[in-house]
Amino acid sequence: MTKKFWIGLIIVLIVALMGVYYQKFLKNPHCAYDGSPVTPIYEVDIVLKEKSTKMFCSIYCAAQWFKNNVTLIDHVIVTDEIRGNKIDSYMAYFVESELITNETNDNRIHVFQQRQDAITHAEKFHGTMTDDPFSLDE
Amino acid sequence: MLFVAIFSLSLGGFLFLLTIKTLLSFKTTVPLEDKSKFERKGYLVFLLACVTFSIRMIVWPWFYFMLQSFVSEVPGAMCMFGVTQILPSTVTFLQIIKPISFFIMGGWLLCYYVDKSTSTAPLARKNLFFLLIVCGVLLADGIADIYYVIRMKPLMSVSCCATFFDVPLRPSAMIPQAIFGRNFQKILFIVYYVTNILLIALLFTSMSKKWVSVALLPQKIVLYSQYAIGIINIPVVIYTFIENIAPRLMQLPYHHCIYCFIGNGMVPVASIMLGLFVTGTFAIGWMGIIRLLCKNGEAQLITERLLLKVNNVSAFCFLASIIMVTIHLILI
Repeated sequence: MTKKFWIGLIIVLIVALMGVYYQKFLKNPHCAYDGSPVTPIYEVDIVLKEKSTKMFCSIYCAAQWFKNNVTLIDHVIVTDEIRGNKIDSYMAYFVESELITNETNDNRIHVFQQRQDAITHAEKFHGTMTDDPFSLDE
Repeated sequence: MLFVAIFSLSLGGFLFLLTIKTLLSFKTTVPLEDKSKFERKGYLVFLLACVTFSIRMIVWPWFYFMLQSFVSEVPGAMCMFGVTQILPSTVTFLQIIKPISFFIMGGWLLCYYVDKSTSTAPLARKNLFFLLIVCGVLLADGIADIYYVIRMKPLMSVSCCATFFDVPLRPSAMIPQAIFGRNFQKILFIVYYVTNILLIALLFTSMSKKWVSVALLPQKIVLYSQYAIGIINIPVVIYTFIENIAPRLMQLPYHHCIYCFIGNGMVPVASIMLGLFVTGTFAIGWMGIIRLLCKNGEAQLITERLLLKVNNVSAFCFLASIIMVTIHLILI
């Protein structure tokens, strides 16, 4: 076993540890379902029973993750598209319209805090009001 | 990319013609007055080949950089997978021919190194024939590169990688499931470690004759086992990365996209992990090429020394790759 071999392995070890450090502490938030960057206006946060939070880029991704992990979830926080306010999903109005928020997954569900905003959006983009995709049945 | 493709294609075309010409005028004995001219011509051919192949070998990772740079241009693309949906057959062809081209160019460069290290160049004729094959692959690769870059227009909307990699009937899950059964992910993970550790052990064994005798195995068995496990290891590593390692390291347990793993920057050392595995695997193949083509009494000693070096590189690459993966799996 040569000296070069050991030096190489030490370099590999350092690179691996640097990679882990970057991933754990320096990385920007990404969607917990498909890994794409999270746009603040469409952000969905799923709060788990063990108090940690999962961040998603769209209602579609959050709903997909939600379906597989219902038992772990405490509540879901969505973002009002008009003002950017974070609200509990059971208080929000959801509209499915022709306007796409995320081209990669074709998400057409929009979130509003005010009922009037939801109706205006539905009229403008040929949409309909839909149920809360994150309703937790007790 | 287009510049490099056109540049290397023209060099490759010239090299192809020059190689044919040299082969047609090849003589084992040359009159003394023509010797210098003949040597210079041969030297020019091989030098040109070295330059061209060095450029073409860099083109393989470069191709993926290019795909990644198109992501923002293609509507609907989230990663390189989206970009591959435009001109899919050309991209598939390029993704297959690029590793082949990298592999045989590397093999040729090593054979050339053996030939260059001897005083009488006993492998020159073999190298020229091999060069002809390599040039053929290079031309096909270069033409496909140019065709793709010119024809690729990001006008259509493409689907997200999740629609292919995350569906239950994805090929990367169905094939291992057919072999290992329902609990395939766990078994695949164990097989990944077993094949890699076995391969590393065999490579370390052939590092010295003393170790071969300690292992109580004939050298030929060690060599053939290396080739066999090296080949088996390729699908095992690919499926393990897609099914187990990529989702865990990306911290996206339902996302199996290998393109997101490499290109989206979520795991910054992903390309190094895969690059080390590819180099290790190719090094085993290169040893096979050297053993096949560089059998010559005069070149024997140099061949043996080079084989040992390539063997060490292969062992190092596999060990480094598995260490990197393990550290990430433990700490993330």
